[in-house]
Amino acid sequence: MVTQSGMSLSGDLASPGKPVGARDTRGYRAFTVLNTVVLVVVSLFMLYPFVTVLAQSFSSPGAIKAGLVSFWPVGFNLDTYRAVAQDQMFWASYRNTLVYTLVGTTIAMVLTTTFAFVISKPHLRGRGVLIGIAVFTMFFNGGLVPNYVLISSLGLKNTMWAVVLPGAVSVFNLLVMKSFFENLPQELEEAAQIDGLGWFGIFGRIVLPLSKAVLATMVLFYSVAYWNDWFTAFLYLDKNDLFPVTLFLRNLIAGASSTASEGAAAVGSTTQAVSANIQAVTMILTIVPILCVYPFVQRFFVSGVMLGSVKG
Amino acid sequence: MIRDLTSRSRRPWRAAAAAVGASSLLFLAACSGDAAGDGAELENTEGSMTDFAADQQFKATEPLDLSILWTDWPDLPIKDSWRIFDEIAKRTNVTLEPTNIPFSDATEKRSLLISAGDAPEIIPLVYTGEDAPFVSSGAVLPMSDYVDLMPNFQKYVEEWDLGDMIDNLRQDDGKYYMVPGLQEVSVPVFSMIIRKDVFDEVGAKTPETWDELRDALVKIKAKHPESSPLADGFEGQSMLNYAAHAFGTVGGWGFGNGTFWDEDAGEFTYAATSDGYKEMVEYFHGLVEDGLLDPESLTTTSDGSTDELSEKVANSAVFAASGAAGTVEEFRTALKAADPDAEFELVQIAPPGGSAGQVVEPRNFWHGFMLSAEAKDSPHFVAMVQFLDWLYYSPDAREMLRWGIEGETYTKDADGIITIDPDYSLDAFNINPDGKTDLQKDLGFSTFLAEATESRALKESYNSDQFVEYMDTVLATRTPRDPFPPAPLDDTELEQASLLATPLKDTVDTNTLKFILGDRPLSEWDAYVTELEGQNLQGYLDLVNGAQQRFVEKN
Repeated sequence: MVTQSGMSLSGDLASPGKPVGARDTRGYRAFTVLNTVVLVVVSLFMLYPFVTVLAQSFSSPGAIKAGLVSFWPVGFNLDTYRAVAQDQMFWASYRNTLVYTLVGTTIAMVLTTTFAFVISKPHLRGRGVLIGIAVFTMFFNGGLVPNYVLISSLGLKNTMWAVVLPGAVSVFNLLVMKSFFENLPQELEEAAQIDGLGWFGIFGRIVLPLSKAVLATMVLFYSVAYWNDWFTAFLYLDKNDLFPVTLFLRNLIAGASSTASEGAAAVGSTTQAVSANIQAVTMILTIVPILCVYPFVQRFFVSGVMLGSVKG
Repeated sequence: MIRDLTSRSRRPWRAAAAAVGASSLLFLAACSGDAAGDGAELENTEGSMTDFAADQQFKATEPLDLSILWTDWPDLPIKDSWRIFDEIAKRTNVTLEPTNIPFSDATEKRSLLISAGDAPEIIPLVYTGEDAPFVSSGAVLPMSDYVDLMPNFQKYVEEWDLGDMIDNLRQDDGKYYMVPGLQEVSVPVFSMIIRKDVFDEVGAKTPETWDELRDALVKIKAKHPESSPLADGFEGQSMLNYAAHAFGTVGGWGFGNGTFWDEDAGEFTYAATSDGYKEMVEYFHGLVEDGLLDPESLTTTSDGSTDELSEKVANSAVFAASGAAGTVEEFRTALKAADPDAEFELVQIAPPGGSAGQVVEPRNFWHGFMLSAEAKDSPHFVAMVQFLDWLYYSPDAREMLRWGIEGETYTKDADGIITIDPDYSLDAFNINPDGKTDLQKDLGFSTFLAEATESRALKESYNSDQFVEYMDTVLATRTPRDPFPPAPLDDTELEQASLLATPLKDTVDTNTLKFILGDRPLSEWDAYVTELEGQNLQGYLDLVNGAQQRFVEKN
């Protein structure tokens, strides 16, 4: 995923960056070559772990244990996928992750867009205070235990809301969106007002449709954050059937590799480590869906970056 | 790149957990209720038995629901189908309501729950010393105030001669806050595994001391010049751990806070500057120098896996290595995989003795439980303590937690020998693997609750014959070191001590390895001691000795 955005960035540099009609200078060509080489090498480094895990997921446990698997499956089989597919806990937590991500992203988008729109209006009285409140939370927070006590006293513990609500407004995303809205021409809004639209109409019919790029970007940011988040769930959920798949995965991997002390090793002796192929399959199944979101959103993402820079 | 932008205040978790500890102290100071001493005065006796005695079946007089923290192992997820909870309810009228925490971060989550005052009533899987961080906040109950409600506990502490060890659990205020799992016998889990056939071949007998081991290794090296016959798959930590006792010091996994009780002087000294430690380091350096100890195995990060070592054992590059009963199986599998017809004999031997005698690690407790402070206000508090006494210490309960239901999942003959029913298996211990239903995975028996308290007979009932033999040898021929006297630190001292102890331990770890590998000549031993002294070693020892004396005066 990092690779893709990296590549497209290099593409952007290569075309619109150079002066129109001028021939490439030698230095510029050398730069492009070097740039490409460096980025390809970096991309390979990024891709290698993915490829290895993918290869492991199709390999036999014996081959993984012997360290034979690097780029290509050894002892190809689909048994592990079948085994994991039959694990009800895995699918239950998978479903949870889907629900948390969908609900969370929806709530986050509603809150962030409306908040950002309001604080993007320079004529709003008390705007500074509203921004201040949001920015304050970027630098200060109550700490772990008070947060826990808060969530728990609000009765959110062991509910979906404990996972979904605390991260619903990311101040960073909020500020990005605010500056995007600020860059929209004010004349558009004035025209809409003259045509009889109220603030909600302007927001819903003019501003949002013009902001597809930034909206897509924010959906991506939020959904990835919700999808990958295990920590919030770990804090506020105590019931297995509520765990998201990331927590399931973490237990599978961290639990299997934390036997480096005697106590743990001795405890571990009553249970067996989860084999590497099961870990690999679970990892693949966990990252694939969110990986699939990128190509769809990337279109908006790139034009979004462009939009901001040109209009600025 | 994108991940950095989107991550929402996800700071390193360890640091956060430390913050939990610190902030909770202030936060909860107000919530601590002073425990009202004697259990006999307690009025919250709902559901309790009036004449509960040792070895008697506990049954609550009315149905009770008790909440319990339950650690979920990734390969042993808790299931609705587990019979263990039904069986406990049937026998005791108590329904356990688990709060699940994933094993990967179990201790952190437990700290958080306790610090936030949100922990379930029963907090199991607590190892000795793990109660210390919660003492001052009053978030957990001083169990020593309530042991008079626990006849089984008292009976087996007495019967198995564990009274002194229990006294060592006491914190700064003279109370102990967790009650441990009791072990009738305790042997080191990790010791040395040797290829007995190879030892026999070169005419070496099973080594009883480290010197004998050295002689045997020399003979093996002569026969297999390519090999480095001795290895440790745990970065040297395991071998230093069990070797240290023989040299009259502590090391490796067992280094702890680095202090060692000097019986004659009546004070704590620092283990890593002692003569015994030096002797041990010299000994292992000698092995490395002569190519008898595989230096690679001391430096390779293992992450708890012994794959690499197994490979070496299979290729006859190593003939003796550290390990537990499970490691023996791993070596066996590796040897069989390399050559299906291979003939070999792997034996886990008792840790060799040394200048300090045939000494092994002190007897150990196993994990026990704490009660959260809120439990005290529950109307059925007394019944809860009685129930836990039964669950953790009564022989009937222990047998049930390990083997399930007599007559259904296992049978017991007149001599008390337990046999599993043919329909059931216990895969974790390779017992009757053909059985259809697994006692552990399908029914929830033999989980962590089962290991807490064990009589010798119960321990022998599920372990392999080889392990039982190892256990018998250790018990017959080795002496456990006496435990150190308690030196509980108070809050500020704890913080100071960890600030001092961590850099000291780093210096010790680095230099121990350097000395053994020969990267630093042993002639620089005095310089190394000076380095430690430069890190305020004396200040650290004063702190610990001060705490020890204060404890003696107070109690």
